[in-house]
Amino acid sequence: MTRLRTIYLSGKNPSRAARVRPENPGFERFMWYFMRISGLALVILALGHMLIMHVLVQLTGQPVDFGFVTSRWGNPFWRVYDFLLLVLALIHGVNGTRIVIGDFVGRGGLRALLLVSLGAVTVLWLILGMIVIIGFNPATSPAVGPFT
Amino acid sequence: MTSLDRLLSLQDRLVRYRISWAQLAWFGHRASGIGVVLYLFVHIVETSMVTLGPNVYNTTLGLFHNLPVRLGEILLMAALVYHSLNGLRVIAMDFWPRLTIYYRGLTYAVVTSTVVSMIPLALIMITPYAPWGHT
Repeated sequence: MTRLRTIYLSGKNPSRAARVRPENPGFERFMWYFMRISGLALVILALGHMLIMHVLVQLTGQPVDFGFVTSRWGNPFWRVYDFLLLVLALIHGVNGTRIVIGDFVGRGGLRALLLVSLGAVTVLWLILGMIVIIGFNPATSPAVGPFT
Repeated sequence: MTSLDRLLSLQDRLVRYRISWAQLAWFGHRASGIGVVLYLFVHIVETSMVTLGPNVYNTTLGLFHNLPVRLGEILLMAALVYHSLNGLRVIAMDFWPRLTIYYRGLTYAVVTSTVVSMIPLALIMITPYAPWGHT
């Protein structure tokens, strides 16, 4: 009986650690699916990135520096990998933040301010990240800088 | 529902209130998610410095090469591992509601796997600052 009841109730919100799937098609339902699909991709992309950059690099004793990034981004595979990681992680993370703000900050000026700032910062950071990953060219980057 | 029922139900909720694993898992998912996204914003700026050449980029990376930041990175790794595993649990339970029966076991599995996998990961990541490290 308890089990049946659990399943019945869980039909509403099975995971109980997240949201109920929005009933009506639209932006919120799209984002519900987006969080789950991008989440699956990010398990590979983000964990892979962390394991390579923090664990594998440590085990093989490679220093992470300008030369490392140059050789890494010399391979189109890693540019595509990092581009996907940037876009999916940023949108996944920002949408999560949007939902948390919506849950914890009451309707009103503060919530609007937070959401608008979040959106503006996200667009700027997304453009910055894309420009860097697509446009980085070690040959045209300055060889010297202000720090000695 | 009579007013007595309502009163009893309120008393029930106040006195017999317990933090459940579901609530902890939910809170952990949000806390780790916010942590990771904050780091992501910093990390994008940090990596953008690569376009300003080796001098600026290597100097920027130098700001991150110290023990407090490394401890933060270990915490970041733990947050990412937990968020990934718990996220997989959420996805599994959303698409196969029957798994809800095993929700407690699955939550224990998520927490245990996070702790167990963090032992070797933390040991490797702390190496440069540990007695057995070479720097």
